[in-house]
Amino acid sequence: MGVTVRHAPQKATRPVTAAAPQEPPGPPEDDLAARFRSGDEAALREAYDRFGRAVLHLAISTLSNRSDAEDVTQATFVAAWLGRETFDPTKGSLIGWLLGIGRRKVIDRLRASAREARVVETVRQHPDPTPTRSDPDNVVDRLVVADELARLPGEQRRMLELAFFDDLTHHQIATMTGVPLGTVKSHIRRGMQCLKRRWEVDGATHGPRPAGLPGAR
Amino acid sequence: MQHMDHDRLVFLALGESEADNEERAYLAGCEHCRSELENLRRVADLSAEGQGLHDLPDPPDHLWQGIVAEIRAAERLPTLVEPRRPVTAPDTFADPPARVLSPPARKRARWSGWMTTVATAAAAAILGVVGTAVVLGGTEPEPAPPQQQTVRASASLAAFGETPPEVNGAARVFDNGQLHLHVVNLPDVSGYYEVWLIDPETMEMFSVGVLGGDTDALLPLPPNADLERYSVVDISAEGYDNNTAHSGDSLVRGTLTS
Repeated sequence: MGVTVRHAPQKATRPVTAAAPQEPPGPPEDDLAARFRSGDEAALREAYDRFGRAVLHLAISTLSNRSDAEDVTQATFVAAWLGRETFDPTKGSLIGWLLGIGRRKVIDRLRASAREARVVETVRQHPDPTPTRSDPDNVVDRLVVADELARLPGEQRRMLELAFFDDLTHHQIATMTGVPLGTVKSHIRRGMQCLKRRWEVDGATHGPRPAGLPGAR
Repeated sequence: MQHMDHDRLVFLALGESEADNEERAYLAGCEHCRSELENLRRVADLSAEGQGLHDLPDPPDHLWQGIVAEIRAAERLPTLVEPRRPVTAPDTFADPPARVLSPPARKRARWSGWMTTVATAAAAAILGVVGTAVVLGGTEPEPAPPQQQTVRASASLAAFGETPPEVNGAARVFDNGQLHLHVVNLPDVSGYYEVWLIDPETMEMFSVGVLGGDTDALLPLPPNADLERYSVVDISAEGYDNNTAHSGDSLVRGTLTS
């Protein structure tokens, strides 16, 4: 692979979540989390605008039925709003918390349909009886890491994207961007640390959440 | 032994080079570096898999409308946080503390017109289901015939056993023998929810009825029900299994006090 990879470096990756693509990382999310928790309805709308598509993505990629996925998404935001006082911003981000609620609801739904499937042997509604759906924990982890990646400072993020998406080596990145190799290294190392930390805090396979489906961990 | 250079671990995690024999031997012996490498690898994989995630499609409009409608409906209904004192209709509910989730009226103006319409329609539909006998109190205080209902006993319902703590609610028994239940976040079950009154001393019980999909329900109690004895309100998950007994799978419970 050469170094002439077309990566369109100008097109910023937007947070998995944020509505505006070019927004500088986090118009203070702490503030959004605090307002959400205190019952500010504008914060609910804002949280939905930023995180709604991530929650819907979680549901769609794990459930076989689109309307179930929409139900779960709706129920996630309703439960989050009604239970907003239980959200503890010191334990993780708002999106991590929302995805955690969504993940439990997905798992409940999967269990319920597994029971149904056992009782009703004939598969009626599902044209494909064994759809390969993603594991909820993996989807949550991917969303959390992608969200963090989008929040990294511009240059750090760009180097990581070149490494992850375009499979470039440190040397190739340095050549392509004209950034000294040592700087590339430190950007990538720091960026990786941020991603790892965030994954440890908000991810589903890491951190303090109760285990979901047996073997999900 | 000194740990491996972190830059080198990142290199390995990104697949930029392979561990040589010496490194492999070292990693086999160092739990710390091995798990760091595994974590970095996992993060790198997750990152690469997440490439398309920054461009997810927007949810359909009706989803937001559904969220608003459901929340509005929940807020419209009495939340029974302070059910002890006799509740008289409908003025009591104009009194903010009785409706904890209700925002002040002026806050509502933040929602655009159509949202309020959707919400009001949905709330109205649910009010219809619950029935006017309950002291719901409309926003207009005047016309509703003043249905005086006194609360005889009430209980707050908390998650039981392995049920997640966000499942909770309240129960109250009116003087007219009706049991009003308000429960939020019940988990999906393959069968249905059944409501029981249980004698905590003997664990004898009787079924009061089933709960539908709404957050609120009004169920008639037998007129001679002894609430002193059958003081525990229990909601269970039941299956369509031709077995009328309690499944043993209680979701929420609470004790009635008068």
